[in-house]
Amino acid sequence: MLDALKEATVGSMQSVKQIAIIVIPIMVVMEILKDVELLDRIADLFSPVVRIFGMRKESAFPLVIGIIIGLSYGAGIIFKAAKENKLSKKDLYLITYFLVAAHAVFEDTAIFAALGVSAVLLLSTRLAVAAMFTFLASKVIKEPEKEVNL
Amino acid sequence: MSLQFGSVTFDTLRRGLKSGIDVTWQLAKVMIPIYFIVTFLKHTPILGAIARLFAPLMGIFGLPGEAALVLVLGNLVNLYAAIGAIVSLSLSLKEIAVLAIMLSFCHSLPVETALAKKIGLSAISVIAVRMGLAVLSGLAFNFLL
Repeated sequence: MLDALKEATVGSMQSVKQIAIIVIPIMVVMEILKDVELLDRIADLFSPVVRIFGMRKESAFPLVIGIIIGLSYGAGIIFKAAKENKLSKKDLYLITYFLVAAHAVFEDTAIFAALGVSAVLLLSTRLAVAAMFTFLASKVIKEPEKEVNL
Repeated sequence: MSLQFGSVTFDTLRRGLKSGIDVTWQLAKVMIPIYFIVTFLKHTPILGAIARLFAPLMGIFGLPGEAALVLVLGNLVNLYAAIGAIVSLSLSLKEIAVLAIMLSFCHSLPVETALAKKIGLSAISVIAVRMGLAVLSGLAFNFLL
């Protein structure tokens, strides 16, 4: 019993430390990315890429934000873009499909990398698969008729 | 401050540190209790029973039966809970890699499905897509790694 208690205390503390060492610097880098407005530039870079999914170029910003920062933050930007009528409903759905499969990718990858899994393998697989799925979905999904009430 | 690139200031670093510590705290809050629970389960017959029950299913992904606990926690709670279970079980690096890719695609279903629903997607299709990607990627990683 005492052994288990000791094992759990030491083990859990070590794991938290191991992850903190990787996650804290990643979060600092993310804030820097936001402040140098690199995210906007990355989004611009992605404008031609989103055309492959048949999306308007305005889709690039919410997509990139969601991929890099996270789903809830990304959803906020999606709601805003939708309210301003910048996105079609199909764009909205495709962005969301991409994002439910791949969001907050650096944070999630960092956590698993702290456990020893290859960050490159995880990150590239996740992005490639999400992109392939979104491409397939873009061929299948029709522009929906019903109103989206956000 | 000499550290000034564009609009990056000392405040940027402060916010980064704060959000990093915040993530670590969120992680610790979930991970530590899970670690304790799983460690205690290891010293009882319960974990063995769970492992035997799920061994055939988890075997498809080259995972031991107790990995079911990791997938259930990751999907019903969040990634931090899954990590708590991963680190308290003794898994090989390959097993962790398979779990990592499966969980990357499919985790925190209650919270994240609610978000997707708010945007207008159906809960069933979001969950089906995410589980589908998790299963396929898990099979692929088990086969290729």
